[in-house]
Amino acid sequence: MPYYDEVELGDEIGPVEKVATDDEVSNFCDVWGTPGPNRFTDAETAAKSGMKGGPIVPGIMTMAMMAQLLTDWGGPGSIKDLDLVFRQPVPHNRALTLAATITDLREEDGESLVECDILMTGTEGERYVGGKAIVTLQSR
Amino acid sequence: MAMELEYDRSLYGIEHKAGPFEISNETIDRANSSTGEAGAAFLSDEGAIAAGYKGRIAPPTLCCILVRQVALPDVKVKFGKTSMHAGQRVEPKAPVYADDQLTASSHLKDVYAKTGRSGTMVFVVWETTFSNQNGEVVAEVQESFARRE
Repeated sequence: MPYYDEVELGDEIGPVEKVATDDEVSNFCDVWGTPGPNRFTDAETAAKSGMKGGPIVPGIMTMAMMAQLLTDWGGPGSIKDLDLVFRQPVPHNRALTLAATITDLREEDGESLVECDILMTGTEGERYVGGKAIVTLQSR
Repeated sequence: MAMELEYDRSLYGIEHKAGPFEISNETIDRANSSTGEAGAAFLSDEGAIAAGYKGRIAPPTLCCILVRQVALPDVKVKFGKTSMHAGQRVEPKAPVYADDQLTASSHLKDVYAKTGRSGTMVFVVWETTFSNQNGEVVAEVQESFARRE
């Protein structure tokens, strides 16, 4: 994990590539309390909801993946704020690229804060999920 | 000119409570396995203690998973036909430990219209505070749902 004085504006976190498989989405929906069939797990239900590309990954599952990018970098308790917009449906079984770019560094109320733009994209440049995050790092 | 929205404004100021939610090791295991979470502090007591915690902690988005289990009323927005999950925000405030019992309290935060290139959308925003068995706030979660023309 980096120390606050080791990071600079414009530094990138990631990129990390992930895939949300059918089984993982189904398992997530069980935990989430929305067991199938639904637009996340069933192609027919997804089509009726206007999802032409098949069932989609729940927004909250993509959020968990984005959070992992940050906690793998900054530590398990590093997230202060994660604010995401679900821009378009995220497909199953496709490569997803997660990355964040540091946009601000500041010390506030005794904490060393790193603000970043965070984005999940597809192989064709689709911008699936985007937003902002604030992470706290240790100072030396 | 601002769009006049029709919806149930009497919902403002009402808290909708839910829980307790038992955060067992199994709950954390299942959340981890469904998202490929492999951070040591989320997997075991040993990993968490090495990171400075008193025991195993839940991943920071666990409350975002639980929030769906809070029964919220229909805001009765008279706009559009389809609703979609437009966004989510989480502000973790304190660690959630295995064996914690969480309660949730949700309220309607805002309903507003926004017009962009693809037309007008109406957003309904709910805010939920999660607290542990000691009354300590562990996370604030905001969910935003959009209705299209």
